[in-house]
Amino acid sequence: MRKNYTESTTPPEGYDPRREQMLDFKVDEDLALVTRSDDKNFILTTVDELFNWARLSSIWPVTFGLACCAIEMMAASATRYDIDRFGAGAFRATPRQADLMIVSGTVTAKMATRLRRIYDQMPEPKWVVAMGSCAIGGGPYFKYGYHVVKGVDFLVPVDVYIPGCPPRPEVLLDGLMRLQDKIRGRKGKSRVPRWVADYAKKIPYVKR
Amino acid sequence: MEATAIHELLKRRFGDDVLDFVDGHGQGARVAAARVAEIAQVLRDEDELDFESLMCLTGLDWDGYDESGKGKSVGILGYDELGKPETSDRVGEGELGVAYALYSHRHGHKFCLYARVPRQAPEVPSVSRVWPTAAWHEREAFDLVGVRFTGHPDLRRILLDDDWAGHPLRKDYQMPGVWQEVPLAGRSYAESKWGEDDVVLPDPGGDSGGGA
Amino acid sequence: MSEQVSTHGWQAQDEPHDLHSELLEINMGPQHPATHGVLRLLVHTDGEIVHEVTPVIGYLHRCAEKIAEGCDYRQWMVYTDRFDYLAPMNMNFGYAVAVENMLGVAVPERAEHIRVICAELQRIASHLIALGTFGLDMGAWTPLLYCFREREEILNIFERLSGGRMLYNYFDIGGLRFDAYDGFAEDVLDIINIMEQKIGEYNTLLSYNKIFVERTADVGIIDADDCYAYGCTGPVLRGAGVPFDCRKDDPYSIYDRFEFEIPYGEGEKGTIGDCWDRYMVRVREMYESCRIVRQALDAMPDGPIMAEDLKKLVKPPVGSLYTRTESSKGEIGFHIFSDGGARPFRNKVRSPSFSNLHVLEKVGPGLMISDLVATVGSLDIVLGEIDR
Repeated sequence: MRKNYTESTTPPEGYDPRREQMLDFKVDEDLALVTRSDDKNFILTTVDELFNWARLSSIWPVTFGLACCAIEMMAASATRYDIDRFGAGAFRATPRQADLMIVSGTVTAKMATRLRRIYDQMPEPKWVVAMGSCAIGGGPYFKYGYHVVKGVDFLVPVDVYIPGCPPRPEVLLDGLMRLQDKIRGRKGKSRVPRWVADYAKKIPYVKR
Repeated sequence: MEATAIHELLKRRFGDDVLDFVDGHGQGARVAAARVAEIAQVLRDEDELDFESLMCLTGLDWDGYDESGKGKSVGILGYDELGKPETSDRVGEGELGVAYALYSHRHGHKFCLYARVPRQAPEVPSVSRVWPTAAWHEREAFDLVGVRFTGHPDLRRILLDDDWAGHPLRKDYQMPGVWQEVPLAGRSYAESKWGEDDVVLPDPGGDSGGGA
Repeated sequence: MSEQVSTHGWQAQDEPHDLHSELLEINMGPQHPATHGVLRLLVHTDGEIVHEVTPVIGYLHRCAEKIAEGCDYRQWMVYTDRFDYLAPMNMNFGYAVAVENMLGVAVPERAEHIRVICAELQRIASHLIALGTFGLDMGAWTPLLYCFREREEILNIFERLSGGRMLYNYFDIGGLRFDAYDGFAEDVLDIINIMEQKIGEYNTLLSYNKIFVERTADVGIIDADDCYAYGCTGPVLRGAGVPFDCRKDDPYSIYDRFEFEIPYGEGEKGTIGDCWDRYMVRVREMYESCRIVRQALDAMPDGPIMAEDLKKLVKPPVGSLYTRTESSKGEIGFHIFSDGGARPFRNKVRSPSFSNLHVLEKVGPGLMISDLVATVGSLDIVLGEIDR
């Protein structure tokens, strides 16, 4: 269900990311994403832009804190790193009223079926954020964890991966903003400046 | 009371079923597994012992323990770098064991009991009638190591699911790749589903994504 | 599910003889806002009254004890953080003390003092969350936000100390990983100075609030016999009136040098051993922790923070030892079996919440569902250390 952006990873001519950021509702026509339902590229109408704006401004997560990352999620919803200013402060206990599942913590084999059930009970459109290294790829329990699912993307399709152990609340908020970009239909690329991305390319990967 | 004195008292009561005294750290007595429940009863009810609190109950697998003290015990199997379970043909041998750590609030002394049972018939009498907290600790020992506690009110798995196969804390346990359709094996970096529009660090094999 | 005739309510008075009722079996959890983590409570109720509670755990079993057999003693310190992720310093402390007892190594004085300060600050932070979430279970939103605000200040200090905001891996076998930064003492004093006033604020908000008292006093009574039998320790045991604390009665590190009291429940608002007593024990422990921190700051010397003659690869001698320390939830014990090598043969973690949760099977029947929520909240369990 993940969109494959291979054809359109090169920006079109005249593409200026700074211009993108200034115009709020301008959408890149090559990479529009309304929901994760189809592989077709849409051209968004103003009504779709309005719906996207409404959805990203009020993403209501379902309370799905599993382990240590849940505490950082609670800290993100506390007063210092207020998640409510993004409209995402209403954590719903029932998945039927939620549209975001922040998988925060280790997913174990025993919990996997329940996680999938909660995901299935959420109505469309829904998004999943994998928070923390355990949800991304098993985390520190990779090597000897016989009861640990090595990443939540074995079970549900994930939209944003937030690394950290546990990630700071600010990183969770950044992941949330990235999800908002994705909902808006902006290019799913990172919002880091070019010089950061160039520097990242130069960091050598040490193979052990 | 000193641990050696407690050991003497037990030896007078139970004779040959109380084996040698374990000195050094964790002072206690090694006992025959069949009399554990009665020894526990005496330890709790006797006035000068009065161990009304079981601090910890540990189940363990003495498979491949290196007696010489050089630390060359057999290693455990895990998942390799690519996330696949490691396999081996080695069959576990040796005994299973249980260790009890006791404390008395009144007297302030501590004592340990160690018991070993053969691997093929790991039966230890349950002490849950003596110390009710042992009910869950014994369930955990059964779950993870496989020691069966006779006389336990409700011996079933506690941490793992009821139909989990095997006892994970044994030294010959091989990690499962999948359990009831839940995948437990990992993925290598190459197989993972990173899209090309995400910022990732440079992959040894190819180009990276990213860019603004 | 058994079919039983209800003995409560209207049916007891005038029951038509052809009407029978059944117990309702419901699941609280594993995804539930009122269970502190992924805990599943299998509850058999008759209407609102609980007949049987069975906690089902294991939804967060992360195989830490198996991992211990595969990595070094120092490397495993990282996993101890993740047991009680609300009080990682206490978990680190327990494990470090356990291995140091086996090694027989002496930790330098400065390291000991910083350890005590960190442990007590962590106890305050953990109790803040305990109070906040307990209030949240009772329906009070504000104390949670106030508690998180204070906790952020403590976490600031820990972050400057160890680099991590919530999980630190700060203690090391034989000492500490990093030294205290310049300005550490001033920062700690700042927090301790305001903490007493803030605890007064929580008392005004929550502790003596009439609604809170009505919901927690005389509810979920765990008496001392149950505590001894089911192995409950920490605020649960002290709330039952037993003034037992590992720091005083089985001292480790340098706790025998400090003067502090052990608060215990006296049945002020109801019966001894009810939820309010356990809650109040935690509040009073925060005052005592402030006292200890002040004394430790005054006495802190300069010097090294790491034991000198300790190798990088720590190899305790052959044998086994059970060491326990006082965490914010109770008595955390590590039973370490060593074969003389670089890796433990078996590391068993005796976590306080495991036994504290066990007592719910005894205390649950007879409560109403909302009282069950209150009792679970007052036990202050963390699933990370129950399931390990």
